[in-house]
Amino acid sequence: MAGVLLSRTEKVFIIDGVKDEYRSDGRSTIDYRPMELETNVVSHASGSARLRLANTDILVGIKTEIDVPKPDKPALGKIDFFVDCSANATPEFEGRGGEQLANSISNMMQRAYQSPQAFDLKQLCIFEGKQCWKLYVDILILECGGNLCDAVSLAVKAALFNTKIPFVKAALMDGGNIDLQLSDDPYDSKLLDVGSAPLLVTLCKIGNKCVVDPTAEEEKCSSVSLIVGVTGNRKYYSDDDTEELPAFQPKCSAISMHGPGSITTTTLRNAINQGIIAAVCLDEALGKTVVRERRDIEKFKRHSYGFLK
Amino acid sequence: MPGPDLLSSQGLRLDGRRPNELRRIRCKLGVFTQPDGSAYLEQGNTKVLAAVYGPHQASKSKRSETVVVNCQYSMATFSTGERKNRPRGDRKSQEMSLHLRQALTAAIKTELYPRSQIDIYIEVLQADGGAYCASVNAATLALVDAGVPLRAYVCACTASMAWQDGDPAPLLDVGHVEEAAGGVVLTVASLPSTGSIALMEMSHRLHSDYFESVLSRAMQGCRDIEVNIT
Amino acid sequence: MEGRPRALLERGLCSAVDAQWLMMMMMMMEGRDCLKSYDEVYSGLFDEKGHRKDGREMKEARAMYARGNFVSQAKGSSYIEMNKTKVVCSVFAPREISHQNEFSTVGQLFCEVKFAPFSCHLQRQPHVPDAEEKALSVALRKALEPTVCCHLFANFQIDIFVYILENDGACLAAAITAAGLALANGAVPMYDIITASSIAIIGDKMFIDPTEREEHLALSSPETKQNHGVITMSRMHGLKQIADFRQIGSLDVDCILKATDILEEECNKIVPKIQMILVRYINNGIIQQKKLAEAAKEREAALKIKMKEWSSSIIKISD
Repeated sequence: MAGVLLSRTEKVFIIDGVKDEYRSDGRSTIDYRPMELETNVVSHASGSARLRLANTDILVGIKTEIDVPKPDKPALGKIDFFVDCSANATPEFEGRGGEQLANSISNMMQRAYQSPQAFDLKQLCIFEGKQCWKLYVDILILECGGNLCDAVSLAVKAALFNTKIPFVKAALMDGGNIDLQLSDDPYDSKLLDVGSAPLLVTLCKIGNKCVVDPTAEEEKCSSVSLIVGVTGNRKYYSDDDTEELPAFQPKCSAISMHGPGSITTTTLRNAINQGIIAAVCLDEALGKTVVRERRDIEKFKRHSYGFLK
Repeated sequence: MPGPDLLSSQGLRLDGRRPNELRRIRCKLGVFTQPDGSAYLEQGNTKVLAAVYGPHQASKSKRSETVVVNCQYSMATFSTGERKNRPRGDRKSQEMSLHLRQALTAAIKTELYPRSQIDIYIEVLQADGGAYCASVNAATLALVDAGVPLRAYVCACTASMAWQDGDPAPLLDVGHVEEAAGGVVLTVASLPSTGSIALMEMSHRLHSDYFESVLSRAMQGCRDIEVNIT
Repeated sequence: MEGRPRALLERGLCSAVDAQWLMMMMMMMEGRDCLKSYDEVYSGLFDEKGHRKDGREMKEARAMYARGNFVSQAKGSSYIEMNKTKVVCSVFAPREISHQNEFSTVGQLFCEVKFAPFSCHLQRQPHVPDAEEKALSVALRKALEPTVCCHLFANFQIDIFVYILENDGACLAAAITAAGLALANGAVPMYDIITASSIAIIGDKMFIDPTEREEHLALSSPETKQNHGVITMSRMHGLKQIADFRQIGSLDVDCILKATDILEEECNKIVPKIQMILVRYINNGIIQQKKLAEAAKEREAALKIKMKEWSSSIIKISD
């Protein structure tokens, strides 16, 4: 990633370490670094989350807007991802320097959220063929410490979980146009069903092994990484535990490769399997965290820290 | 001047503050590890992040006998009530970048670092009036965190004008609602410990008789902020 | 199909203007079937015998026609046609990267994919690249990067332009194969020949080398929880490496792994064709060179005879 300089010996150290299952921060190949997550940090947005994964800092704000659905998909809402690499992360991002990275991340997110089994856009429909909600998912990258894709997908899912969409009180038909009246009460709003939203897992190929959650230094040592988007399990995101849900099977919603290198078929197979296992664990942890946080908010147990912590 | 009704009969403002009261300021230094200096500042509901890189070698085209202060002001797309399409590059952001550069160049001991450059990046996370002032204050803190030698702290504050029972009552630290109400807004960036002004900008119309009082209110605000953040 | 807006109009569910507009939309998207139900569209993919609409078996890729030296101005170029998907690719000689401050130690690829304005059902803006074109350009670059010996031309970039004349599905796969051929045709140093293939999956059916309709349906939303999605894989045959792998949709692991095997086979099937074309061009080149050399020899011999004649005549005159 940006701004990291490594000498040849440092690279050799990292590569040989991974070969013997040692990483410079003591993790194994399937461990994630500690994360901090806080939702509802931006008051102007309908939903927001801030995720800090070691040195990677992501802020996601979600805004809603009323839009007209596409004519070929009248019953579906819209979701749009926008990534902004802040120059705070590294001076290279100044001006339009971060655009390429931002585009590749937003493309990946867009693809991962495309399938209705990953994120059901029907829940954003207001009036079929006429009006729907459009979600603007704005992702701000404040600091880069490696593994941006995973952190972004986690933060986005947490922010979507936190998003409140106002109820429509009344709709007035005026000729062909519809006039909507929205509820003003912030508590009179619906939450989104995001249980199945995908998480991205980056598998960084270092030497002959794949590691999850690479640091910026490890990313420098690898020529290729595989990003797997895996759908989530609704079970972890529902408040009441009694609800019967069908048996869950993780599915891939997007796979893509990054970097100039290439991989063999066996590596690809192993990496996909490894990615799915990691994603399922991650999904469970995220689900439990956000549900617990929501309960705490309901009981007024939680203080908002934001960046002051 | 038929200003909008910004003060209640009890002499309180729309958000319940007194005319000479600042919004609550909370700040933290060193929020990030990668930049040389960083700061987070909250002024009421306006939230700003600042990061400082440098001093480092300036690019060939920019080298001069004093340090080049390079500023970039950008607003998160979700920072305002209505979604912004672009975080930076629009006219307002560019103007803000220029103004920031002007105010901060006045504070930094530029002669100490010839042929080098200091990058100051501002990211507005939430804008609720006075984003420029919060940016200047956050940038000062970030410069302090980076250990860049300063002549004095540079602080910025806005002031406006309201009327109470026919008497002029200058307002300190204007919020978004008061800004949108259409009154005069005077922005002052000053070095309070030396008493000098680094940048001053005013929008809307104000009778010159009252200018002095509004200015002194703004300067008072700058001094208050300096006390607050040090 | 035109009955539906009319029925809506008669029942008072939409205004006359709306009905007209809907009709227009439907005419514009005659292939898009937006008003048909999912099952109708799905059954529309097969004919009575259970074959695909264009008569292919499920496991049958379209016949491919490929050639090189298609654009005379370019250093290397190629043309690939898979029934209705037609792609032209041209590669230009390395040139120094302009507007860059830092020296880059490895060469860079610049890829641009463009759809012809008449390539698909919907009209495209001819000048500004849209989101799909940008995404395809990035995908193409990622697929080609592993195969080109980028370290051989430091601080230089190679321009690769792909023009999609007609799009009927699997255009990324066609673009990658075409670009691989064009690069080889332009004698750009490469590690291996790169070929790509694509597959669309709906439920338990796997459509190899999908058409646009099949691709579209595989990406749109079924009501059930069945698998759906599209995978494109590019492969370097000799090195047995996967250069790029991209999946979109929702698929379980077994399905992906099965599809990977099939795609690998499909990619391998294309390789001999590409090799044949390249060998033919090289052979042609050698033959041409020989011919040229012979012609040059003949000319030289003729010239020598002439020279002798002249010199003898000059001597005569001087005598």
